[in-house]
Amino acid sequence: MNKKTSSRDIFISGLWEDNPVLRHVLGICSTLAVTNLVANTLVMDAGLIFTLSMSCLTVSILRSYTPLRIRMMVQTLIIASYVIIVDILIKAHLPDISDALGPYVGLIITNCIIMGRCEAFARNNPPWASFLDGIAVALGYSFVLLAIALVREPLGFGTLMGYQVMPEGFKPWNIMMMAPGAFFMLGLLIWFIRARFPRTEGEQINGCT
Amino acid sequence: MKNSLVSIAYMFLITFLFTSLVSAVKFFNEEKILNNEKTKLQKVVLHVLDISIINKADEEILQLFESRIRVKKNLNDVKYYVAYENDVETISGYAFTVGGSGFWGPIEAIVAVDDKLSKIKGISFYKHTETPGLGARITEKWFTKQFEGLSLHPVSAGEKMFYLKPLGSKTDEKDLDAITGATGTSRAVENFLNSELDIILKNFDPLRKG
Repeated sequence: MNKKTSSRDIFISGLWEDNPVLRHVLGICSTLAVTNLVANTLVMDAGLIFTLSMSCLTVSILRSYTPLRIRMMVQTLIIASYVIIVDILIKAHLPDISDALGPYVGLIITNCIIMGRCEAFARNNPPWASFLDGIAVALGYSFVLLAIALVREPLGFGTLMGYQVMPEGFKPWNIMMMAPGAFFMLGLLIWFIRARFPRTEGEQINGCT
Repeated sequence: MKNSLVSIAYMFLITFLFTSLVSAVKFFNEEKILNNEKTKLQKVVLHVLDISIINKADEEILQLFESRIRVKKNLNDVKYYVAYENDVETISGYAFTVGGSGFWGPIEAIVAVDDKLSKIKGISFYKHTETPGLGARITEKWFTKQFEGLSLHPVSAGEKMFYLKPLGSKTDEKDLDAITGATGTSRAVENFLNSELDIILKNFDPLRKG
């Protein structure tokens, strides 16, 4: 397998074949929490892309030195460090965005996709491939979140990125503002995707919040 | 045995490396973060006291804050702000930091009152961890604007200065709109703000020199 096709495979797998949300039902917690507004979703996506790619890169660089039985502690440490760094940098240089995000940046630490990819991919693959895998999986996560947010914000608030898009007199659906609305949306989306594009090989489902 | 020692040493080294990295990033950005927070607080104070900060740079805001606002402390060593008119002599109002438990975590707000402590001039909930899109809507203008002009007066036990009612169920001017879908946050704000306002009215003496 030459290098070109392998990076292509990594992207196809992260975005579609092994999409973390649609295929593995990972990262549900943040999917439910941030998708009520498109703006929140975008920043969460950016934070995850950075943290996931950097964490995978670092875990991969250290993979041959890290003793097997303490690898999880090491991974958690690496992930937490990057998340705190992102948080500090946003607070220092983008105070307005930091206000808008509140506690969400810190919560990236708890996104199980990151640890999942470090465990499943980065610790057995070379740095560059792991870095790409991180970006690909994070993009896969991002587009699912965006798809949900693009439905939830107009129905729940009547707006899109803060601009009124629904006609005058539209009554917002409260359920769409709240986490249960995301449950319905996510359920429908996963059902549709899996029914429309079934995977041939046996599916492994790892639930996690 | 040897293996576990290697593991411990490795973990120690890695932890040391990464905490150093985080500390370094923090060290080089700390001043900026503190400054941002200070400017933000000054903006909030000026805003609730109805001193316009629109289209002003951070330095102008600092100047404005220093010329129009005095920071003082009450008997319990809690800061409050005194605002002056353009002449820098007539007092135009006071601002107090108030706070309490929200639905998820503490909420901090600055509430400004007029010079006679008879009305609310403005309020801003500047620190909170409520759910974005739900409880976090306490920071939105439609919500804070309702408090402007709310009249302040001592209340008897069981009575409140204002009530947050579900949308469309207001009956008199003490009733304000609650946030739909965020009953917990609305109730929390109603509780802590009423009791804090009550404390201010009972204990604050504007004539006391401080």
